Amino acid sequence: MTKVLMKGNEALGEAAVRAGCRHFFGYPITPQTEIPEYLVKRLPQVGGVFVQAESEVASINMVMGAAGMGIRCMTSSSSPGISLMAEGVSYIAACELPCVIINMMRAGPGLGGILPAQSDYFQATRGHGHGDYQVIVLAPSSVQEAVDLMTLAFELAETYRNPVMVCADGMIGQMMEPVEFAGEPDALPPNEMGGDDWALGVREGRKRRIVNSLYLSPDELNEHNLKLKAKYDDIAAKETRHELYGPEGDAEGGGGYDLLLVAFGTMARICKTAIDDVRAEGLRAALFRPITLNPFPFADLRRAMDAIEGDGAVFDVEMSMGQMVYDVKLAAEGTRRIEFHGTAGGVVPSPDEVAQKIREILGAAPA
Amino acid sequence: MGDIHIAEERCKGCGLCIDACPRGLISFAEDLNEKGYTYVEFTGDLEQCTGCTLCATACPDQGIEVWNKRGKQTFENTTGLTERMSHYCPGCTHGIIHRITAECLQELGLLDRTVGVAPVGCSVLAYEYFNVDMFEAAHGRAPAVATGAKRARPECIVFTYQGDGDLCSIGGNEILHAANRGEKITVIFVNNAIYGMTGGQMAPTTLPGQRTSTSPDGRDIEATGHPINMAELLATLSTPAYIARGSSHDPQHVLKTKKMIKKAFEHQASGTCFSFVEVLSTCPTNWGLAPQESGDWVRDHMIPQYPLGVIKQPESVS
Amino acid sequence: MSKATDVLMAGFGGQGMLLAGKLLAHAAMNDGREVSWLPSYGPEMRGGTANVIVCVSPEPIGSPLITTHAALVVMNLPSLEKFEGRVRPGGVIVVNSSLVERDPARDDCVVVTVNARRVAKEAGSDRAQNLVMLGAYVGASDVIPPASIEKAIENEFSGKKARFVPGSIAAFRAGVEIGRAAAATV
Repeated sequence: MTKVLMKGNEALGEAAVRAGCRHFFGYPITPQTEIPEYLVKRLPQVGGVFVQAESEVASINMVMGAAGMGIRCMTSSSSPGISLMAEGVSYIAACELPCVIINMMRAGPGLGGILPAQSDYFQATRGHGHGDYQVIVLAPSSVQEAVDLMTLAFELAETYRNPVMVCADGMIGQMMEPVEFAGEPDALPPNEMGGDDWALGVREGRKRRIVNSLYLSPDELNEHNLKLKAKYDDIAAKETRHELYGPEGDAEGGGGYDLLLVAFGTMARICKTAIDDVRAEGLRAALFRPITLNPFPFADLRRAMDAIEGDGAVFDVEMSMGQMVYDVKLAAEGTRRIEFHGTAGGVVPSPDEVAQKIREILGAAPA
Repeated sequence: MGDIHIAEERCKGCGLCIDACPRGLISFAEDLNEKGYTYVEFTGDLEQCTGCTLCATACPDQGIEVWNKRGKQTFENTTGLTERMSHYCPGCTHGIIHRITAECLQELGLLDRTVGVAPVGCSVLAYEYFNVDMFEAAHGRAPAVATGAKRARPECIVFTYQGDGDLCSIGGNEILHAANRGEKITVIFVNNAIYGMTGGQMAPTTLPGQRTSTSPDGRDIEATGHPINMAELLATLSTPAYIARGSSHDPQHVLKTKKMIKKAFEHQASGTCFSFVEVLSTCPTNWGLAPQESGDWVRDHMIPQYPLGVIKQPESVS
Repeated sequence: MSKATDVLMAGFGGQGMLLAGKLLAHAAMNDGREVSWLPSYGPEMRGGTANVIVCVSPEPIGSPLITTHAALVVMNLPSLEKFEGRVRPGGVIVVNSSLVERDPARDDCVVVTVNARRVAKEAGSDRAQNLVMLGAYVGASDVIPPASIEKAIENEFSGKKARFVPGSIAAFRAGVEIGRAAAATV
């Protein structure tokens, strides 16, 4: 495998194709537009279908249509467009259809701005439309990881017949980094999802099927919700992913840590640089990076918190006014002091800024 | 002589068959059926029945089958519908439009590869009645779901079945763009000039001056605009399409409308173009009219606003 | 030459700084190093300033966004004014003197002033001012062997654009010489 230098958005498009996705439905919005611009050229090369929908409302419903027919498919958008998809995602989750949604997050609320942000954490991890449902949420922190998580996203979507969101920020979409793709460009997996026992289509004598989320009987709807809940519990038990940066095995760090940072996506990379800087000064900080935002790795984070030496604190850093920090507090269950630093609007905290906050929390002199 | 069989247990007592019979051979029974409706029975002289099938054509509930003088069955319930009783009000012509849609699919041999998309509104449960694979879509989004389905499996026949609130109001954008892209889908648009499921509110298709629960003094066109003629609106698009409007208010019009629906599916099956059939229908409950009066109201008030006929054809066949 | 470094390249949209950065990233990647190319993508892209941060490192890149830089390459005065304070002491500042009339106010950095327009013209490629600037940076910083960039230029301009290769490489080489000379005099 050779490395190629690619923009995050384009790499995500290619990764989707390599994962066997041949159907894309979407609507232009900055900063994710390179995804449709890439796929409109790439999909015809592999016999795929690209539809520029009239709105995000329509594109997510087109995804519902294609997914219901057992065809691997996706859409992508950025924050305001994702808000418009809330209705469709609720239906797709209720109907238990597999699909992948990319949210290349930009700053809100409202029209906000087009620069990177992480302020859709609540929206992504709390279902974002109406009703009791969950979306699996994956948060890459590099272009390579974005590519790898696209493959995983389709796998998880199909394993659990559930929408999966790849939740990155505009910076991941816009930057170029070297990437390697698994598999061969001319040996793509089929775009059938193996929906033999659930997908609609040509019947050939089988019993007819219905893709539906309407349950007028409260008991049946309760049962349906219990079934979904059991699935989400199963996902939570099996599919959490995270990275711990800094402690054991890090010769320079010496193993232990007095402060545990928690950050995801782009923010986590910035924290890593800040941690490298303060470790050079003898300060012992580590980073816990959730890769699955939903299911959130509560137990793993709690273990990492329990390993903080003494009564050291947890420091949550986000490009938002504080959203994931609620989950961090849930993980801590009151056992640790939780510090928070966040910026919004597309203002991205610099490594120096984070490093300075670390020094303050640890009572060290400014660099 | 012909013969008819009325399924007493399916009858909702709307009486449309009574009015349909040219010889007055059907009338209400004295009793109620087990659902509590005054059902109809054949009370005339069997010798006089010609087996013309108008009674069955007018029945919204698949309640009548007919044989002709030679003992040949001239009206048989379609296998394109399930046997389930519909939830539609007595006299509502949704049942008729369901039936002719299903009959067309059956007659064209398409049932095995048809996928329908049900809307939100009175026909939300259409997935229970059409005997094909079905989606139940979000309000107004059926053409988007159908787009995804058809693009995913072009070999399937994909149709949406939508009411006026669903298609014309909340789903205005989805239908406009599906038509403009020339999606090879078929849209059955049922227009009864009112929101039925939610209890009789004003729709985009409500007639000027028509009273509804949200236009209690009659629709004021100064404040709410004119009715939207969806078929004509879509016909202005340059993209080739088959667009027609029929009515379900009497058996003759039902038969004409069925031809339009059949043509629409033929265009889809041959991959020719987007196809759209608007069907005027009744809402006796929310109009506050008896079923037969409702049919008259369609004739006298709706058709002048919504003229019937083929409005647009793909150029190759026009 | 193998340690971690970075450069901020800035100019008006259309002056080719994003492409210059991409060539550097591409060349360094092909040399087996970790790279990141992070552009500004705000509304300023439309006719305003465009800039890109390229990080090059033997290790995986932590933050691709940094606020102080080992080097700065500027095509215009607004970029110099905005960014010159962000260069770390001992760093490299390459200034396009065909558009920027003043020298940088830094005496703790290697300053390379290049009349990119004139040098490009002399090299036979009016359009390759960005490559003159890239060359000056590569010459002054020794971030990567010039041959690696030349290979990246050949990769970038393929097919119909292949006719730009000789002029581009000539412009780049001229820039390298200027950069080397400036670094040697410090």
